Amino acid sequence: MLELKNIEKSFDNVNVLNHVNFSVEDGEIVSILGSSGSGKTTLLNIILGITQPDSGEIFFDTHDITKVSMENRGFNIVFQDYALFPNLNAYENIVYGLRNKPNISTPGEVQELIELLGLKEHLNKNIEQLSGGQKQRVALARTLVMKPKILLLDEPLSALDGVIKESIKDKIKQIAKEYHLTTIIVTHDPEEALSLSDKVMIINGGTILQYAKPDEIINSPSDSFVTEFILRQLEIKRNNILALFGGNKTVAAV
Amino acid sequence: MNKSRISPQKIILIFTGLLFGFFLLLPMVTILCKSFYKDGNATLEFYGNLFSNRSIFKAFGNSVLVSAASGIITTVLAFIPAYAVNFTNINKKLKKVISTLVILPMLLPTITYGFAIIYSFGKQGLITKLLDTQIVDIYGIAGLIIGYVIYTLPISFMLINNTMGYIDKKFTIVSRMMGDSKLKSFFATVITPLISTLAVSFIQSFTLSFTDYGIPAALAGNVDLLATRLYNEMLGSLPDFNTGSAVSIIMLLPSVASIILISVLNKYNIRYNKISVIELTKNRVRDIAFGMLSAVIILCVLSVFAVIFLVPFVEQWPYRMNFSIEHITDIFSDSSLISVYKNSLLVALATAGLGTLIVYGTALVSARRGEHRHYGKLPDTASLITNTIPGMVLGVAYLLSFKGTFLHNTFAILVICNIVHYFSSPYLMMKSSLEKLNASWETTARLMGDSWIKTVVRIITPNAVSTLLEVFSYFFVNAMVTVSAVIFLASTKTMIITAKIKELQHFANFNEIFVLSILILITNLAVKGLVRLFAAIRNRKGKKV
Repeated sequence: MLELKNIEKSFDNVNVLNHVNFSVEDGEIVSILGSSGSGKTTLLNIILGITQPDSGEIFFDTHDITKVSMENRGFNIVFQDYALFPNLNAYENIVYGLRNKPNISTPGEVQELIELLGLKEHLNKNIEQLSGGQKQRVALARTLVMKPKILLLDEPLSALDGVIKESIKDKIKQIAKEYHLTTIIVTHDPEEALSLSDKVMIINGGTILQYAKPDEIINSPSDSFVTEFILRQLEIKRNNILALFGGNKTVAAV
Repeated sequence: MNKSRISPQKIILIFTGLLFGFFLLLPMVTILCKSFYKDGNATLEFYGNLFSNRSIFKAFGNSVLVSAASGIITTVLAFIPAYAVNFTNINKKLKKVISTLVILPMLLPTITYGFAIIYSFGKQGLITKLLDTQIVDIYGIAGLIIGYVIYTLPISFMLINNTMGYIDKKFTIVSRMMGDSKLKSFFATVITPLISTLAVSFIQSFTLSFTDYGIPAALAGNVDLLATRLYNEMLGSLPDFNTGSAVSIIMLLPSVASIILISVLNKYNIRYNKISVIELTKNRVRDIAFGMLSAVIILCVLSVFAVIFLVPFVEQWPYRMNFSIEHITDIFSDSSLISVYKNSLLVALATAGLGTLIVYGTALVSARRGEHRHYGKLPDTASLITNTIPGMVLGVAYLLSFKGTFLHNTFAILVICNIVHYFSSPYLMMKSSLEKLNASWETTARLMGDSWIKTVVRIITPNAVSTLLEVFSYFFVNAMVTVSAVIFLASTKTMIITAKIKELQHFANFNEIFVLSILILITNLAVKGLVRLFAAIRNRKGKKV
């Protein structure tokens, strides 16, 4: 279990995170949902260990890891731009971590991951030859080889289009389930957050507005911001799509 | 974070601090003190003496005059081939030829231009003979301006060409659609976005001319210039180091002002968000006119250099004009000249190798600093300062600071001087290229167990090879052609080609001067060719599945 207690962070006297308290159960998929400047990326960096909080504590399985360095926390991340190494091919990227920790995954486990993510026929390709979705899957495989205790995903779907987006969503869910892997996703897209996660945290101005299961958020929004910005957006989308399919323009709000 | 030992980034910073502390700050402070102190007491005597004599004003005025004239002429001339390359439908291969030939003079030392001009436009010069009349009196203002224009044309062309490449050509179409006349459209969409670059080009070629010693060494004649004045104060028949230092400071001031002005002007550069690829309008008159004008400019420049390849192969210019390779064989059997060439090669290779390493290290800490936000300040400042200090001033400062130390008369001091002198451009080149690489690589690799050094070796370096090669060849070529600084530092033991050329001038040994110049040119071409070949091979490998 990951637990954050009273996390505070300011940059140049601007308060970015305000009394942040929450916990994530093992194997859960949690989305941190907010617009740019909401503090979601800072929160992600604090969990990962790139950024130190000004005050507050972080616990993992009851150990205090607040002062533990990024590489010793054992978490891992896939960045929004994937950060694949272009001088190496897809396979070399996937097994990069084995150069430093040869025994962290067995060859069998690596093969299993490659199968799971459907990368078999792309292993010898250069990074620039891969499509967006393939890049995302290579980056996922590379991170999963390291057997992270928590998987962090920074805007994992923002650079992908339509159908690929849905298939990557399924992969993320599948991985979390099969490996019982705690997964924390940062996103600005309500649809993504609510359709992908077990729980969603809505953050604005450095404060958590609501942290609950998707249907709770839909049915009982805790805050006018949640209603006006998050739910309103989804309703417009839904109405547009319904209009396309049935011409039924007067669907009442749920 | 639990770091008990000192990080490699800090080690690089400490090394950079020491390097520029000892070889930039200390020499500059020394030269400043030398001009203000006499026997340990502060004095304005040296400046007083200088200014009480009208000759320093005359020298300063002459320097400003010829440099400004060269700056204007160069900028106008450089605009033409740049326009031909960017705004006409001339054949692509032809454009490539134009942009290659225009920058060719960069591969030769300026001191060679001077002698090439003498052998072209002088009384017995090739062009004078061909035209049967001497067009200009080259010993003086006219000769100097010709030399400076040839010297600064490549740099000015590169500046203008670069900005033109970033001008969105679609705006020309929009302007014509809105009813602008051709002339108005030209000013609105070509000249206006170029204004600050044209100004930078003028200032840059002004500064380069103002501080160059190679061309006046051959052509100044009776024209008193600041550069020749400085040389004579330091290495003339009556050396006066204090007055020399004062002259250095006077030379430094306009140079500092120029660099500040350039950095201000660069802020006004228009940046288009997106460069659209668009077909240029058909206009054969424009294409032919600019093609021809570019050809004429290039031919003029090349014709000046033709004598370099001609004179050494003639028995005795201009009296016995039959072909002979006697001079060549003589020169190559002269072991002292061969050793001078070897020295130059050694200094250039060491400068390029070490220079690239230092530039890479410093650019790594400043461009990829991650959480160390302040790390970039030291190399950035060093780059800014080195950029403002003319080679001659740096040479004089080294001479004063390291005379009598173990560095005096060594190859090491030549190499260090070159690296410090030429640090700025390759550093900025390297930094901007590293900044473009994915910012998350280090974090990602660290999460997979890499140390910083490992990531640099395994990931960053393979992705920075092409820029590293560019930096290497920049240092190499400049170390081969530099005159201004090393002229004060090369000794009989550490003689390199450009300093030797200056020495050979006393004996009027022009055959040897030209052969040595050809050697420099061939060596530079070879290095550039090798670098290009290597990059091409790597590129092809990268493209392979």
